[in-house]
Amino acid sequence: MSNLSVLLKGKIGSLFLNFEHTFKNDGINILYGPNGSGKTTIISALGGFVKNIESRIIFNGNEFKDLDKYPPYKRPFGIMFQNPILFEHLNVEENLDFVIKRQKSNSQKKNLISKKYLINHLELTSLLKRSPENLSGGEKLRVVLARTILKQPNYILLDEPMSDLDIKYKAKLLVFLKDFNKKFKIPILYITHSIEEISQIGDQIVLIKDGKKIDSGSVTNVLNRSSFVDLIGKFEISSVLEGIVVSYDQILRITTLDLDGQKLIVPGLPGNLKDIVRVRIRSRDILLSSSRLETKITENELQGIISSIEIEDNSAFSELVIKLKNLKNNKKIQKLRSRITTYNLKKMKLLINDSVFVYISSVSIDRQAYQSI
Amino acid sequence: MDIFHHFSPDITAILITLKLAVITCFFLALIGTPLAYFLAFKSKKTKPFIETIVTLPLVLPPTVIGFYLIIFFSPETTLGKIFIILTGEQLIFSFYGLVLASIIYSLPFWVQPLQTSFEKIGRDTIWTSYSLGAGLLDTFLNVIIPLCKKGFFTSFIISFAHTLGEFGIVLMVGGGIHGKTKVIAISIYDHVEQLSFEKAHILAGGMLILSFIILLTLFYFNKRSVVRVK
Repeated sequence: MSNLSVLLKGKIGSLFLNFEHTFKNDGINILYGPNGSGKTTIISALGGFVKNIESRIIFNGNEFKDLDKYPPYKRPFGIMFQNPILFEHLNVEENLDFVIKRQKSNSQKKNLISKKYLINHLELTSLLKRSPENLSGGEKLRVVLARTILKQPNYILLDEPMSDLDIKYKAKLLVFLKDFNKKFKIPILYITHSIEEISQIGDQIVLIKDGKKIDSGSVTNVLNRSSFVDLIGKFEISSVLEGIVVSYDQILRITTLDLDGQKLIVPGLPGNLKDIVRVRIRSRDILLSSSRLETKITENELQGIISSIEIEDNSAFSELVIKLKNLKNNKKIQKLRSRITTYNLKKMKLLINDSVFVYISSVSIDRQAYQSI
Repeated sequence: MDIFHHFSPDITAILITLKLAVITCFFLALIGTPLAYFLAFKSKKTKPFIETIVTLPLVLPPTVIGFYLIIFFSPETTLGKIFIILTGEQLIFSFYGLVLASIIYSLPFWVQPLQTSFEKIGRDTIWTSYSLGAGLLDTFLNVIIPLCKKGFFTSFIISFAHTLGEFGIVLMVGGGIHGKTKVIAISIYDHVEQLSFEKAHILAGGMLILSFIILLTLFYFNKRSVVRVK
């Protein structure tokens, strides 16, 4: 199986798209960027819906250059548009069958994913006979997702699928997507605005702005880079840490992670023993001290060394990057970004290469911030 | 039997009128539907121009359309020759002349409701269908037509009713020949001219009731589906 290589160049409305990237053929690939940066256009172009731009899309040894030869209905992608649509003249089950009936024409594919599997996992049983117009937003979304997957696509393209969902639904669906992706090995291209979604399910990420790729790489790396910080704005800056589950407490519902020899207690039960779990920690939720505090005010105390200090112009804040101490000497370096007022920085007289103690309240680590990998 | 003979010319006129309306609607479905689709989704630069042409019959006096049809389809012209090859008759005073005139005259009545209906289902629905593997014809037959049932129904009813009510253009092109191009509207005119008000009453009253029922059916069904969506 080859990767999905995309080159798109051209003017669409007021946007000049000049995008080139090769998406991996596994995992969940995030496409992230501000509104109007061209994310939706990229998915539309993959689907064959964008004319009059230069495009070179190579996938599985086919080059989808010619719209006549590869019209939208002959492309092997499962697309869920930003505004997902169910056919109102068909009930839920007939909507699912719509795509199954049209499967036979591309018969070289093995039918891997059954309707039954999706009905069970997306909890559609009670919806099957209902008309789309009586479904809630979340129900509609699950049906559209099932229908998209039932196409048995070779690549799934999802354009901000969760943007209208409430948190409870969202968490469930994200777990489904991640499991589905792991089980059936169908790659997913996923557009989102939500950092929680990125850190929870993303494997690779591409950053796009004004039609151009700014950065790409694994989620853990890119989320800690300045290119990402520039896109999301300073207030939402966060760091992603990886830890191994060493113990959990079923009664108090907390999990202890091992971060290269240091301990981090997080709420909830994000994984099983020995799982690697990814945790996102917002820079503004971190307390620093140059000396150890005899305090029980937070659950977590980590040690590190300040590797950079950036005092922002025209703002009250400073940004520090802290290298966490690796007590295991396995050469892995995890970095934590911290955002404090410049006033406090001066008060504590912190300098580069100073040792610091980091205090993190477990409450600030929200449940959405995990991903077990 | 006496009564039958008394009214038989009118019965012929009624049958001709119905036949004209049915055939006109058939051709409108063939011509007007793609045109409405084109106007709803495809054209950008040419759209105002084509919309203007489609809407012209609404504002022009029927005699103007009739006049130009007679001119453009006179037997000496290419169009006129093609018309003769297709129908075996020249346009003026022929039934198919009436059909052509009715198609043009009722075109806006077919195109506009359907165009609105197509626009309402929107591009995203069609893209969704394509992305699920349905081709162009498949999408049209199994997605667009069922979703635009209401639009087709409205277009059909209004075009049908409108064709029943034509007067100026059918008189101009058809000439009101009994048994061939004389439709109800012309029969009523003739009866009034001859002061046979009794016959005029029957036809006029019949038209009034029929048109009322047709429009009532339309508004009843359209209202009901609006309620259902809520």
